[in-house]
Amino acid sequence: MAEYDLTKTIIPFLDRHLAFPLLAHLAETGLFPVDHVRAAQYELAKPTNMVDYSVSLFTQLHPEDEVPEEFASKRENTLTTNERLQNEAQSVLDVIENPEVAQALRQDKMQNLQYLKDHYNLTLGQITALYHFGQFQYSYGNYRGAADYLYHFRVLSTDNELNLSAHWGKLASNILDGDWDVALEELNTLREVIDSRALPTGLTASGELAAVAQLQSRTWILHWSLFVYFNHPQGRTMLLETFLVPTYLNTVQTAAPWILRYLATAAILSRKQSSGGASTTGATSARVRHALKEIVKVVQTEGYQYHDPITDFLKELYVEFDFEAAQRELTAAERVVENDFFLGEFREDFLDNARYLISEAYCRIHHRIDIADLSDRLNLSRDEGEKWIVNLIRETRMGADAKIDLEKNVIEINRPPLPMYQTVIEKTRGLAFRTQALGAAIEKTQMQGQVPEVQPAAAEAR
Amino acid sequence: MSSDDDAAISRPAASSKPTGMSRFLKGQSDSSSDSDSSDDDESDDSDQDRSGDEESGDEVKFIKSAKDKRVDAMEATMKAMENAQKINDWVAISNEFDKLTRLVQRQANVAERVPSFFIRNLSSLETSLSAALAKEKDAKKKMNASNAKALNAMKQKVKKTVKEHERDIVQYQKDPEAFEREYAASVSIETPAPRTRVSGISEGGDDETPEPEDFTTVGRGGRVAQYTSDGIFKNLQLVQEARGKKNTDKAEQINILERLLEVAVTAYQRIRVLLALISSRFDYNSSISSHMPIELWLSAQREVDQLIAIVASDPQYSVEEVTQDYDELLERTPEQEADGVVRIRGSIISFVDRLDDEFTKSLQNIDPHGTEYVERLRDEKGLYQTICRSQGFYEKTEQTEPLSRVILRRLEHIYSKPDAVVQALESSAALSPSVLSVSLANKGTTTALIHSLCVHLYKSGNPVLRTRAMLCHIYHHAFHNDFYTARDMFLMSHLQESIHAADVATQILYNRTVVQIGLCAFRVGLIREAQATLQDIFTTQRVKELLAQGVHQQRYQTMTAEQEKAERQRQLPFHMHINTELLEAAFLVSSMLVEIPLLASIESEELKRKAVSKPFRRLLDFADRQVFTGPPESTRDHIMQASKALQDGDWEKCRDLIQSIKIWMLMPEAGSVKEMLSKRIQEEGLRTYLFTYAPHYSTVSLSLLSRTFSLSPRATTSIVSKMIWNEELSASLDQSSGVVVFHRIELNRAQQLAQTLADRVNAMVEQNEKSLDLKMGGTSSWNERGDGAKGEKRGEQTQERKGRTERSRGGGGGATRGKGGRFAQGLGTVATRVR
Repeated sequence: MAEYDLTKTIIPFLDRHLAFPLLAHLAETGLFPVDHVRAAQYELAKPTNMVDYSVSLFTQLHPEDEVPEEFASKRENTLTTNERLQNEAQSVLDVIENPEVAQALRQDKMQNLQYLKDHYNLTLGQITALYHFGQFQYSYGNYRGAADYLYHFRVLSTDNELNLSAHWGKLASNILDGDWDVALEELNTLREVIDSRALPTGLTASGELAAVAQLQSRTWILHWSLFVYFNHPQGRTMLLETFLVPTYLNTVQTAAPWILRYLATAAILSRKQSSGGASTTGATSARVRHALKEIVKVVQTEGYQYHDPITDFLKELYVEFDFEAAQRELTAAERVVENDFFLGEFREDFLDNARYLISEAYCRIHHRIDIADLSDRLNLSRDEGEKWIVNLIRETRMGADAKIDLEKNVIEINRPPLPMYQTVIEKTRGLAFRTQALGAAIEKTQMQGQVPEVQPAAAEAR
Repeated sequence: MSSDDDAAISRPAASSKPTGMSRFLKGQSDSSSDSDSSDDDESDDSDQDRSGDEESGDEVKFIKSAKDKRVDAMEATMKAMENAQKINDWVAISNEFDKLTRLVQRQANVAERVPSFFIRNLSSLETSLSAALAKEKDAKKKMNASNAKALNAMKQKVKKTVKEHERDIVQYQKDPEAFEREYAASVSIETPAPRTRVSGISEGGDDETPEPEDFTTVGRGGRVAQYTSDGIFKNLQLVQEARGKKNTDKAEQINILERLLEVAVTAYQRIRVLLALISSRFDYNSSISSHMPIELWLSAQREVDQLIAIVASDPQYSVEEVTQDYDELLERTPEQEADGVVRIRGSIISFVDRLDDEFTKSLQNIDPHGTEYVERLRDEKGLYQTICRSQGFYEKTEQTEPLSRVILRRLEHIYSKPDAVVQALESSAALSPSVLSVSLANKGTTTALIHSLCVHLYKSGNPVLRTRAMLCHIYHHAFHNDFYTARDMFLMSHLQESIHAADVATQILYNRTVVQIGLCAFRVGLIREAQATLQDIFTTQRVKELLAQGVHQQRYQTMTAEQEKAERQRQLPFHMHINTELLEAAFLVSSMLVEIPLLASIESEELKRKAVSKPFRRLLDFADRQVFTGPPESTRDHIMQASKALQDGDWEKCRDLIQSIKIWMLMPEAGSVKEMLSKRIQEEGLRTYLFTYAPHYSTVSLSLLSRTFSLSPRATTSIVSKMIWNEELSASLDQSSGVVVFHRIELNRAQQLAQTLADRVNAMVEQNEKSLDLKMGGTSSWNERGDGAKGEKRGEQTQERKGRTERSRGGGGGATRGKGGRFAQGLGTVATRVR
């Protein structure tokens, strides 16, 4: 299973601190020798300011060795720096926390700065102290505090670069703090900031640099957001929504094809919402509903770059329609999911949904199914399989079409062909609305008087 | 008094000097006239030149030659002018004067003194002109209009001419007799040497009779003595001044320079002479259409090598395109220069460029099926070596701009070649003394070599170089069957959007790359991709032209000679061609595999007309109309008959026909390709069979299907399932009895019509949306609906990729259209430029 472990691939795209949980998880799964994982953890912790943690890791690693001297001095150092930074930041914080000031602050950052400067003699330099202190706190693991300071800094500062950096910092802090709602919010704003950066067009060197930088930040976003999306209750749906936006899908394809595993899993996991139809969860967008189809397409095209049991499962099921192979892959995928840091908790769900997908596809293609065979396909025993199938028939809309014939031990599926009028209705469904939208758009432009020559098109449209 | 001094009025005096002098000296050193006549012979003179040489003959009135005639003509003209002056007929004067100036001009061209009587006449004309003008002013009765006009024109003309001959006129006016004397003297000074020659001519009987043996020994001997390292710069300057003049003898110039190179001593001298020598070699062939003689090319190549070696070994000398002015006639040494570096004006990169271009040009002109072509191709090794050498030089001197250019040249020599050839080229380059940062030896594989070359070019700022490097890189990947990398790079480069703005050569490279990607897809078995990629270029029906592998014959319009010439210049040398027959075979076979099942799946005649691949459909229709089909001969015949067999479900016959196509021999790893094709044929045969015969069955056993098409039961089930899932086939599987059960619904006419109507309405709405989008300028704000399946795609910078994936799966006609249109447009620009 170790060959499907993505920790090594993902870590370069994470912050040092974000990598800790991943390594801790690895230590638990036992895919790798514990010593190796520990050594990695130690190496990871050493440059941070989490001295105590590093020391404890060191003693675990080399029980018989003395703790190196440097840690003591580092500890000293850290404490003094902490004090210094805290003092600096405190003065700013005192001012800001003053209710009077809080009232006087407005939307306009420049004005706020001016105000603070006039009344409290606060300069931009001092405000930056907030940032430094926040960063420092983050470096020794006080994530909540870091998030607070960075938040305050961002409200006040006008420095775009530092603001962006503070964004990342706060997102990381929130993630590590486990504050998923806030993290999600932060993630969304950060995404907006990154996407809104206009790129210079053309094949200029600077434009290319900017494009590369954007690609890089998008890749980071993709990886960081995994933390949020696989922990937030609504996360999977949102993951689909975000990752399937063409720009991010392209990022996945070009820079990080392994993300497809999470995309595929999310799509499988959110099947229930989608197959339940728009009636149960009206909020799911079209994108999520068609996610599976789209992801299968991507998995297929990117197959040469990346594949693992999960994507292979989808491929076998929806491209090759080889149910035996799909079943095999599912067994492997189950273990992959189990061992994955992000997906571990969803094993049951995943299995459940994957089975649904298999049986759904199976039933659609087949006319008469041997229950034993289907149970086999689903990795279930005969009795379990029967129960499962009955549930399936009850839950899904196949109810009317499928019947179990216990005597022959088969399911008969009779899918009457769609009546002709139904097809025509389906086809013409959205047309009236679309035409209406067209008309509205034309009227809008006419009112603005910008494009009067649209008129001929309007006549055509009606 | 020497003739040179007085000849100052005649412009090309300088050019005539060396020849004149040499002739003179020759006359002294060896009185045999043969040397001179052979001089004539060797230097393949133009007519005018010869008449100039014969000038001396006229002076001594032995033969009445052109020169003599000219003097006579001048005198006659002057007579006429004098007469006209007397009757005040300015129209006649003006005409005669024009004639006269022309004659004088010609005289000047052949570096002769302007006859003194011309000067005399000119000054008298000037006086009479001013008199006439004065009279005209006073006169009561005006001249007639044309006469007056001519008078004024004359005034201008005379003014101009007088200015040209100012010095002579002044001299003449000062002392007419002295001037006459001087003229006579100067002419007679010139005469002695020719006189001996003339006697030789009279002995030899004919001017043209050459005596080669004598010429070589004596002529050379006489000359070498003259070129010493002291006079080198003076000689060099003389040669340079003569460069580009009409009657300069290029071979002679090259000879002189070669001699100078032999005597050049210092590095500075050698660089200077080499620079001049190489450019005069390139000058030798002035016509654009024909190529440079191969011996000349070879020596030019050697000399470029030599030049690079000198400059590379001695960093105190540098050849630069822009330098400060310096005295051409002085020897310069590093010690004299301010920064210890002697900068010499010149451009090595342009020599390398030119060398490469001439090489290509010669290949274009040599018959590719002869041995000469192969012989010539061997020279590529040397050329590649030169290029590598110059690359090493530029790397050493850190000149980025020429370095990129030279790297591109190198890249273009290797990108389309198989590994073995690249290895051969590289091994020859490794022999060169200069150390290269990038070579096959230290990179291991050709792909790595090309990658590092390209990466260097990507980093350079020049967009043209980058585009070409990118295309070469993609081509290389495609050539090595690395389809995915090639495709991804191709799509990410976004070249499709900007290629029409590129120059024709780059567009050709683009087309080549696209075609190579298509072939690559075919080789690795991605039939759909291959079909979609190649289709664009085949629908234009100008494959050869677009790949620059042949001139397109236009049916309705003929090209002018110039266009044709331009077209011919663009042609690729034969060894770089992509075999168009193979290309066509690949395209038609992949079209067959895509199209035949599709044809079978469509029921109504109307829909059938919407072909995916028009060229293929056209051929198929043509084959259908054939009354009698004989055994297949050409590749097309094979494929057409194979298509028929596939339509009938006879996959074995289809396979045999396809595999018997001879052209596959040319494809690398033909065996695996054939195997792949037979597998595809089985699959597509099954699909076609199901589409075609489904209406006639209610159930079909899967095992029968798998037996008929020799497919494993699993593969059969998989294919059938896929068709059911995609709703291509209205059927379902009965697992217990292992059969496919068909559910066929017969539509009645009204239902069918209703369905068509619905489709049409759909299409119309889509069309409207599209046109509104266009008018609104691409801002999709108005239809941000929930199912933004269409809106979201727009304006996304990397939607290309998506389009691509859709296409590779969808296989329907719709997705292809956009790209196809774009491609065709790109080709359109080529076409318009071609025209």
